[in-house]
Amino acid sequence: MKKALSVFLSVLMLLSVCLAAQADAVTLKVWDGQDDQEILKELCEAYAAAHPENTYTFEYGVVGTADASARYLEDPAAAADVFVYPDDQLIRLVQADALYEVTRNHDEIVAANSQGSVNAASWQGTLYGYPETSDNGYFLFYDKSVLTEEDVKTLDGILAAAEKAGKKFNFDVANGWYIASFFIGNGCEITLDENGNQVCDFNNEKGLAAAEAVQAMCNHPAFLPGDQNILTGTIGENVCAGVCGTWVADAVKERLGDNYAACKLPTFTCGGEQVQMGSFGGCKILGVNTQSANPVEAMQLAEFLTCEASQLRRFEVRGYGPSNNAVAAGEAVAADPALAALAAQSEYAITQLIIGDFWTPATAFGNELIANEQNDLQTLLDQWVAQTVAQ
Amino acid sequence: MRLPRELFRTVRSGNWSVKLSCLIMGFGCMANGQVGKGLLYLAFQVLSILFVICFGWQYISHFGTLGENAQKKVWDEAAQIYRRVPGDNSMLILLFSVLTFAVILLAVWVWCMNIRSAGRAYRLRREGKPVPSLREEAKTLLDGRFHVTLLSAPMVSLVLFTVLPIIFMILIAFTNFDSNHQPPGNLFTWTGLQNVTDIFLGSELKTATFRGILLWTVVWAVFATVTNYIFGMLLALLINHKYVKLKKMWRTWFIIPIAIPQFVSLLLVSRALEPTGAINVLLMELHLTETPLPFLTDPLLARITVIVINMWIGIPYTMMTFSGVLMNIPEELYESAEIDGAGPVRRFLSITLPYMIFVTTPATITTFVGNINNFNVIYLLTAGGPASLDYYQAGKTDLLVTWLYKLTVDQHDYALASTIGIFIFMIVSVCSLTVYNRSNAVRKEDMFQ
Repeated sequence: MKKALSVFLSVLMLLSVCLAAQADAVTLKVWDGQDDQEILKELCEAYAAAHPENTYTFEYGVVGTADASARYLEDPAAAADVFVYPDDQLIRLVQADALYEVTRNHDEIVAANSQGSVNAASWQGTLYGYPETSDNGYFLFYDKSVLTEEDVKTLDGILAAAEKAGKKFNFDVANGWYIASFFIGNGCEITLDENGNQVCDFNNEKGLAAAEAVQAMCNHPAFLPGDQNILTGTIGENVCAGVCGTWVADAVKERLGDNYAACKLPTFTCGGEQVQMGSFGGCKILGVNTQSANPVEAMQLAEFLTCEASQLRRFEVRGYGPSNNAVAAGEAVAADPALAALAAQSEYAITQLIIGDFWTPATAFGNELIANEQNDLQTLLDQWVAQTVAQ
Repeated sequence: MRLPRELFRTVRSGNWSVKLSCLIMGFGCMANGQVGKGLLYLAFQVLSILFVICFGWQYISHFGTLGENAQKKVWDEAAQIYRRVPGDNSMLILLFSVLTFAVILLAVWVWCMNIRSAGRAYRLRREGKPVPSLREEAKTLLDGRFHVTLLSAPMVSLVLFTVLPIIFMILIAFTNFDSNHQPPGNLFTWTGLQNVTDIFLGSELKTATFRGILLWTVVWAVFATVTNYIFGMLLALLINHKYVKLKKMWRTWFIIPIAIPQFVSLLLVSRALEPTGAINVLLMELHLTETPLPFLTDPLLARITVIVINMWIGIPYTMMTFSGVLMNIPEELYESAEIDGAGPVRRFLSITLPYMIFVTTPATITTFVGNINNFNVIYLLTAGGPASLDYYQAGKTDLLVTWLYKLTVDQHDYALASTIGIFIFMIVSVCSLTVYNRSNAVRKEDMFQ
């Protein structure tokens, strides 16, 4: 009898140990880009060390921001619990009900991050993710030996000085993301109405004036189109200035050395007046998958991966511009010319609210301006806007 | 109609055991001395019914609508989150419905076989002949019915990995599965022929795009095939001419482009053709042109560029083929023609050309079809660009297949892409079957020496 009881008790004990161990073992799948795997592992391990109440196992997947929503939607149930996506994929993901709302520690997260990044991670007033970086924008790189600080204030100044020096100014006209800066600058709107329908008025009078300015730039002898031609062009030799983002900053710095400089976008001549170019300001956001088996733990991890310490570490290792206010205000970030230029430009930046077919027709529009010296701009703009707002 | 009539006769002429095997599969076999086989049939019946009830029903019951309830949110006070209540998933419903229907079809077929075997076993027993046991029947699979054994694995994999996915893809063409209808948040449903009418009638933009791209696809396929054919042939003739020395060296030189992987050379050429690329820089340094030439951004120039680059990639292959054919033409033909007084042109037109066309027609059809779907050259060189405002998500050098790629991968417009895929298949199969069946290589197969 006693023996039976002891066997029974020990079995019970074993069972309870097993059950307890099961409750504590949490497996989280995390996605990030190829170049960010190391820092991701480091931060995830730091999170596991900070939360000894559970034993965490992490599964790392290599899915960059560009593919995030596509890979997620292929099979939501098999997607990562926590994954990084750019703010322009937010609406598509929300429509597919892919993202948990940020409901835990909501106010702290909103307070800690810049207003722009919180806006970019929100849709119709609900915060859908944890801002991780705030550097997905563009600004002006230039060669100090060719252009003065006065030159880079206006587009005309840049083009004139470049022509004089026999060099080029690179701007990727065949890309809606960059070309929109003229239209946004002149007060045009690209946004979504309360029903989630695309609104775009690039074909009104202001838009036409902006398009004329783009056409004038394309016809200038010192103008060089093409994506990242600032690098392949190459800056320091044939190119003296170009509009691009932080991802080329290191390469441009290497080419220019002491002549490396960056600043906000210039003003351009529009209807006889100087108008400041606008831009899209974007950020990378960490999302928590609605199909996750451990949503609370996944949210804790996402919050940890985007906290002040993590963002500082990411800036130190990868040079990413932080969305966290405290890190952004730090000396190290302010001393980085590229991030300082981005911060100066952020004043004129808007959040990218685009779900329509904006991009392909924008590329087509840019191509037309490069290909021909004269265009029926109003017709081109009408076609572009018609495709963008089509349901 | 033969199978139902046969089954009907079998059931009518059989005894109660045969009749009962309509309901309980394998009963007729078991009652007539084939216990093992009967048990196998019974096991299959039980398993397939269990499969349909436990797994298939939850999907095929929603097949008509492809799901009604999207995922829902419920506030969880303790965890402070909106927990999700799983809803239907249109894609899984469609996918597993297709699978379940396939299993049901299989079950119907096995049911027919079950009646046939029951009838056969009953007849044999009534006539007093020995009824083969399961072991004996299995043995015939290695002997008299060896073809069944050999073909079963390829057949099963063909159905599972080719036929079922194709049916699934074709069905998607009749839904509105696009970027705005992505499960689990949004469901998609049947829209009938909406996508087809969009392409041909309804949506002005999509119709114009389809027409423009189809026309360019045909132009491209014709030019890409013909230029490679003619220039490859001329090159082969030149190299094989008796006055040309160092034949092997020339052949090697021209085959070198094949040695580099196609996508590497195409991407490099694409970079070289950019405004700041090697070719434009060279042209400007030589003062042949003031401004960079828009090789990839001007519609007409881009189209010419892809055809020319394709020649560089494709001519070595046709040259090799033609060299082989040329070396196989019997020398006597030329000698006797020369004795009869035929000049070089006559000899080429009457001997070389007919011979080559006869041999290479099937290969040329394959090349033509390959060019209609020549994804690599177009996508790696221009990515379909320059993009056009007259087109829906496409550029001036886009082929149907690259447009389809953009619609699926970039736009998630699966339904439209699937519709276009069906049309590509129809065009390609009709073209190649007609030409192939009319070619001399097939009609006068026996005339080839």
